[in-house]
Amino acid sequence: MLEGGRHGEFERLAMPLFDSLYNFARWLAQDETEAEDLVQEAYLKALNGFASFEPGTDFRAWIFRILRNTFLTSRTGLRAKLTVPLEPEEEEMVAVTWETPESLALASVTRETIQAAIEQLPIAYREVILLCDAEEMKYQEIAQILAVPIGTVMSRLSRGRKLLRQMLAGERPHSSTPSVQVDE
Amino acid sequence: MGCTEWRDRIMAYVDAELLASEMLAFRSHAETCAACASEALTLTQGKLAVRGAANRYTARPELRARIVQMTAAAAEERREVEARDRAPRRRQAWRWWPQSLVAGTALILLAGLIFVYGQRQQRQALTEFSDLHVTTLASANPVEVISTDRHTVKPWFQGRIPFSFDLPELQGSPFTLVGGRVAYFQQEPGAQLVFSYQRHLISVFIFHNTPQLGLASASFAGRHSSFSLQTWTQGDLRYVIVGDVNSKTIGELAELLQHTQ
Repeated sequence: MLEGGRHGEFERLAMPLFDSLYNFARWLAQDETEAEDLVQEAYLKALNGFASFEPGTDFRAWIFRILRNTFLTSRTGLRAKLTVPLEPEEEEMVAVTWETPESLALASVTRETIQAAIEQLPIAYREVILLCDAEEMKYQEIAQILAVPIGTVMSRLSRGRKLLRQMLAGERPHSSTPSVQVDE
Repeated sequence: MGCTEWRDRIMAYVDAELLASEMLAFRSHAETCAACASEALTLTQGKLAVRGAANRYTARPELRARIVQMTAAAAEERREVEARDRAPRRRQAWRWWPQSLVAGTALILLAGLIFVYGQRQQRQALTEFSDLHVTTLASANPVEVISTDRHTVKPWFQGRIPFSFDLPELQGSPFTLVGGRVAYFQQEPGAQLVFSYQRHLISVFIFHNTPQLGLASASFAGRHSSFSLQTWTQGDLRYVIVGDVNSKTIGELAELLQHTQ
């Protein structure tokens, strides 16, 4: 149940996140209609469950988690869960590449090329990079949304960024990776 | 700390996840280490490039308006339901107090609490089914399989939900099958069938009948959140019908589903 004051509180917390939630949903679903449905459903679920939200805790992480879980149970999300290629990620960081002056190459990459590369990233890497770089979330907040340890967040970020750099540099990323399920 | 130690921490530096003292220590190190400075620069540029490219999509103003409207309406409905529920509970409390004192009715109170809890849980579940129905109607794609043919819709669910169900022959009835979709309730997949009646759409939800559904009564028919609802169990399945038509019409559709061969 939401009293009038609580409803006002929900609107105050939830509506400023509308643009970010939609942008994230669109990157996940890669379809306008599906993204709209996801955002709408996430808002309804958040409203229904708002009584269980603990005031003073991280509302942004809470509602992003609802959106992400809604996506995972959607048709596209279920498909993605079964086909996400991930390398073994047990809190292991990827060694940094030292020898190439990629900073020079990056400067010449267009916005459209970066968008196309993000689109092609496996969803487990795409979501963590979007949350960290586009939403500027801390590792702790991302870990809360994805329900994984911080080490896993760092590992996915590291691998995702490496893959993105390879794609932008025109390299062929390693593809002999096992399929594992995205954590819920 | 040398390059080897910093290698794994450059990303955390770029993401501002290090302690303030560590941030300063890395800056000092980078002043004398071209490789680490270059890597930090590359990562920072990559991060900025992604940030610029990732803020790509803007929602249609209609979606924002729809959500504002929906949340306001849902909150209003909840307020009404809560106001209705509170009044009878207060009256019951006055009547039960003396009884509990005289008869030592701890058990009665307990049973009452369980009953109230069950009823509240059921109201919550029915509200959520109503919300699912509203969400479906508001969706641009209300159904995933579009067909008036039960022999098309039923097989579509094979492999998508962990049970099977029968659909009635609708010829001669006022109802038309519109299609179906997979619905999720309490994280469990089930079937949502959409029927039309005149210009109204009616949802029929079918799930495994588990306690997690939160439907305490074996059956229920009536109004909830301004919708007509009917629910019943059939074998190990739970059926819930939601629609904005009158209860009699919902009852007719329930009758057809209950007597499916």
